[in-house]
This record gives sequence, structure tokens and C-alpha cells, in this order.
Amino acid sequence: MKIFSTIFILIVLIFSGIAWTNNSFKPTPLQFIVPKGWPQTVYDFKNNSLTKEGFELGRKLFYDERLSKDSTISCASCHQQFAAFATYDHNLSHGINNSLTTRNAPALQNLAWQKDFMWDGGINHLDMQPITPITADNEMGETLQSVIVKLNRSKEYKAMFKAAFGDETINTQRLTKAISQYVVLLVSSNSKYDKVMRGEAAFILPEQLGYDIFKQKCISCHKEPFFTDFSFRNNGITTDTTLNDFGRMKITRDKNDSLKFKIPSLRNVAVTAPYGHDGRFFSLMNVFDHYRKNMKVISNTDSLLQHKIPLSNFEIGQLTAFLYTLTDSSFLSNKMFAPPGYDITPNFIHNH
Amino acid sequence: MKKLFFTSCFLLFLSSLQAQQKITLHFHNKVGDKDLQLFTETYTNKFGESFTVNRFKYYISKIILIDSDSKYYAFPSDYFLIDEADSLSKTITLTTAAKKINDIQFLIGIDSIKNVSGVQTGALDPMKGMFWTWNTGYVFAKLEGQSDASHAPQHLLSYHVGGFKQNENALRFVRLNIGQNVSTKNLILNINADILKWFDNTSTIKIANQSVCHQPGNFAMQLADNYAGMFSIQQ
Ligand code: HEC
Ligand code: HEC
Repeated sequence: MKIFSTIFILIVLIFSGIAWTNNSFKPTPLQFIVPKGWPQTVYDFKNNSLTKEGFELGRKLFYDERLSKDSTISCASCHQQFAAFATYDHNLSHGINNSLTTRNAPALQNLAWQKDFMWDGGINHLDMQPITPITADNEMGETLQSVIVKLNRSKEYKAMFKAAFGDETINTQRLTKAISQYVVLLVSSNSKYDKVMRGEAAFILPEQLGYDIFKQKCISCHKEPFFTDFSFRNNGITTDTTLNDFGRMKITRDKNDSLKFKIPSLRNVAVTAPYGHDGRFFSLMNVFDHYRKNMKVISNTDSLLQHKIPLSNFEIGQLTAFLYTLTDSSFLSNKMFAPPGYDITPNFIHNH
Repeated sequence: MKKLFFTSCFLLFLSSLQAQQKITLHFHNKVGDKDLQLFTETYTNKFGESFTVNRFKYYISKIILIDSDSKYYAFPSDYFLIDEADSLSKTITLTTAAKKINDIQFLIGIDSIKNVSGVQTGALDPMKGMFWTWNTGYVFAKLEGQSDASHAPQHLLSYHVGGFKQNENALRFVRLNIGQNVSTKNLILNINADILKWFDNTSTIKIANQSVCHQPGNFAMQLADNYAGMFSIQQ
């Protein structure tokens, strides 16, 4: 009997020991605010509770070139804050060893509401996303094993992983969850358009007329509040014979999905040029010319575009004025998203 | 504190009621009746095509032990990557309350939930290389080597099988009979996996016709149908 009670007391001590160590891990919770009138997020925060420590770790990783094979490329090399986290002024982005991506880097914003990632929707979870650029030969060219070895060599990272997750273990899951904590907070919901919708500002006449045209001709695909309904459509884009990118068809292997791409959001569109999945449109004017003249209607081109989109020069001016109201300067200059230790993205980040 | 004390009493009491048995599964990768040797040996399939094997790996999950009353003893959250190159990986131990069993069932691959729930750890860490990043999903089984019959560059033989979505589902259940009321006490099950079945089972797969599978789809499903029959219990 004495033996039994000793065992029990030991067990109780062990349990309370575990309880005690758990209690001492108290990261600072961060709240994710869903803007008024927006739907619930797709991202499930229950599996990755936002904390200040997790966010800061994610931000550091996002800006860290050590994630690439030769320490030249970070996520931020291709996703720059002042370009709404697209690659500024590049149709295709630059990876290690003078390589090029085969698609245009999209803006990273409002990812919490997105179900599928990439232009073809091949990635089904935000946490999965970083693995692709880290391991792609034409992006960061690194292996996950080696990234984790490198991070483990850093005392600072070990401490940050501990602060974010409770102990010093660094694995793929923690790495990607931390990056998600950063990118999921990239919410853009404070443009002039948003202020008008909230009754805090008013459109000037051309903007209002542009909005009316937009509601007639564009909104069924570029749906509010995200300015995309996240579906895959063929908008009359033609194949580039050097890239041979058929978009969604690669994922579904269904001919009907040929040349369908995820409808991009038009938030911050004024700063995300060039446009289109391969960056073929250098200006908004190129895009308008695509819709009114150059697009090619094929069997699976979207039914809304069977007759292209008639647009007069006058309408184009107004549409442009409206699209410019989607620029959210508080997002583009939010210090919280700048590299650790900086208020804005310094020059050396975008020397690619 | 008091609550904890009683909980532990209760747990201890429970476990004394349900004596747990430890059973061991050893996976033996074979080519016909020969033991698989990576890199060095050349083998021949039923169609006279010779090939070597450099990599052979597959996921085993959702193991269930079934007794004569059709009662199930399940291990729903255990995932194992059997890798010929890692001898430790070829042994699995399970603790079970089952006393006597007739059958064992398992899944080759990773259920769809785990394919859509973000990054996992352990055997399911994408770092294990059994993963498609461009089209999120696990590779359930991988057979890589070389064959003179292959028309691919470097005569590669490279079958990566996966796919969990509708119309491309390559998940396959395997059920093997162990015997009649076999005692689980110190039970060791030796399970053979015969690579020759990849080429010849429900479908005929000639390396000369198809030596590469790198995406979900019909070919992946044919390979899965074939290899679903590769397992047997060593007598
Ligand atoms: C070499 C340039 C490059 C680097 C480095 C890079 N990306 Fe990207 N990123 C791209 C391109 C190009 C795409 C679009 C790819 C596609 O659709 O096929 C993209 C797509 C994405 C998307 C999907 C967005 C959407 O709307 O679908 C996310 C999220 C993302 N990147 C995050 C990251 C993170 C996190 C890192 C660092 C681990 C990173 N990227 C590194 C170029 C890059
Ligand atoms: C049938 C659906 C549909 C309609 C209607 C539509 N778009 Fe698009 N839009 C798309 C798709 C799909 C793409 C991506 C094309 C690609 O991958 O190259 C796109 C791309 C764009 C882009 C490039 C954005 C970027 O960041 O790359 C702009 C700008 C744009 N559309 C503006 C408009 C305007 C303005 C209208 C109305 C005059 C409009 N769209 C109507 C589906 C549509």
C-alpha cells in the first residue's frame, strides 16, 4: 500500500510539474480584426493563435535571406510592402542565380479570406505556401532541412521560437505557422473606397462615375469587398508560347479549365503593375485594351466576356480614377509590416 | 490537486483493467521472392523489363486490428513512413487492448483531412520529401530507379503516387488475414511488400510505356490499384 501511495504522489507531482511549465509560457495574444461587413475568415486561427511573439518571428523570417540557398533572397525580395507585397515593376520576379519565376508575384493582402493560393490555386492552405518558394530552384532554391539547420545555429531564432511556441524546437510546422502569423495580418481595408463605404469620405465625380461603370462591367468577377470572388476564370488571355502556362488546368487536368487563372484582387492595383498572371500588361491601359480589343474569346472564355468589354476612352479615364481609390496608403506604409528595426522597407531589400 | 490525484487513481485503475499488448509489425520489401537491395541489384518484371531501385517508400496509416467478433481496435492518428533506406522505419510497434485478432487493415497513403489541414509534423513533415508543393498533397508511395526500358531522360523509372480528391483518389485500403483468434501477446507480424505487383496486378504497367508518374490522375490510380495487392503476411 505504501508503494502505491508513493507512486500516486509521484504521478501527481509530475502532472503538476507539467501544468506549471505550461503556465509559464504566456505569449501576448494578438487580435485579428475582421473589418465591418466582411465575411468570417477562411484561415482557422484556432490552429495557429496569433501572438505578438509569433508575428514578430514570422516577420523576421519573411525578411530573412537565410531562407534561400545562397542567402540572397528573402520573401520580401519578391513581395515588397510599397508594392502591396507584389514585386514592384517586375513582370516576373528574380530568384537565386539569375533565375526567373514563371509567374507574376501577386500582392499579398487579405490572405485570411483566401482558400486557394497561387494563380492556379494549386496550394490549399496558407501554411503550405512558404514551402514552395523556399524549395523552388527558381526562387530560393533551398531545402527545408537546411533552413532548419541554419535557424538552429542562431541563438536569436531559438529564443524567438521559444517565445512564440513555448520551447526551442524548430520544425517545418512552426516555421510555416510563424510566417502565416505575419502574412495573415496583411489586411488592406482602409483605402479611400473603404472610407467612402463607411461614410467617412466621398468620391469625387470621376471616381463615382468610374465606380458605376465598374459595377456594370467588372464587379461580377472582381467582387467586393475583396475585388475578387477568388474563382478561376478565363478572361480571354492567350498562351505565351515560351511559358506554356495553362493555369488551373495543370491542377485539375480538365480541358475546360484551360487558361483559367485566379481572379486577382484589384485592391492597391495602382502600385502592383505589371499585371496578369505573367505580368504581360505593363499598365492599366494595357489591361483595358485587353478587355476591349485584344482578348481572345475561346470556347471556355467566361460567359460574361463573350463580346469582350466595350470601353470608351472616357470610361477608361473614370474607371482608372475609381481604381486609384483602392490604394490603401496606411497599409503600404504600416510600420508594423516593415523589416524588424525599420520604419519603411530600406533600399537594400529591393535590389533585385 | 485533489482532482488530479483522483484522476490519476482512476487512470491507473483503468489501465490495470485493460491489459495492453505490444505488437510489432516488420515490413519486408521484396522483389518477387528476393529481398530488395537498393542500387546494386537488377531485377526483372513480368514483361522482361529489367530495373534497379534507388528509393522505395510508402505511407501506412489508419491501422485497424479486427477480432473474430468484428470488433475494431483502431489507431486513427498514427502515421508511418516505411522507407527502405531507413531500417528503423520498417518496424512499427502498436499497443493495443485487443487480445485475439483475425485481421489487420491499413491505408496506403494519407487521408484527405491531413492533406488540407496545413503543415504537419513527424512522419508527415513535408521535409520527408513525400509531398507535392505545387499541387498540395502527399505522395503516398514512391518507387524510383532506372530501367533500360524507360524512355525518360537517364532511363529513369519514377513512380510517385498520390491524389486524395474526387476522381483522382489514390488512397487504398489493404486488409490481410492473420489467422483465427491469434493471440496478441508478443505478436510479431512480418509483412512482405512485393514491388513486382506495381507492374502486374489489376493493370498491366510496362516501364516502356509509362516510366514516370509525377501527378495525381488515372495513371496514379492504376499504380495504386496494383500496389494495393503487394502486401502479404509472411507465414
Ligand atoms: C523569387 C520570388 C519569390 C519569392 C522569393 C517568394 N515568392 Fe511568394 N510568390 C511569388 C510568385 C511568382 C507567386 C505566384 C506564383 C504562382 O501563382 O504560381 C507567389 C505567390 C505567393 C503567395 C500566394 C498569393 C496568392 O494570392 O495566391 C503567397 C502567400 C506567397 N507567395 C508568400 C511568400 C512567402 C511567405 C515567401 C517566403 C517564404 C515567398 N512568397 C517568397 C514570388 C516569390
Ligand atoms: C469574367 C471575369 C472577369 C471580368 C468580367 C473582369 N475581369 Fe479582370 N481579371 C479576370 C481574370 C481571370 C484576371 C487574371 C488574368 C490573368 O491571369 O492574366 C483578371 C485580371 C485583371 C487585372 C490585372 C490585375 C493584376 O493584379 O494582375 C485588372 C487590372 C483587371 N482584371 C481589371 C478588370 C476591369 C477593370 C474589369 C471591368 C472592365 C474586369 N477586370 C473584368 C477576370 C475578369
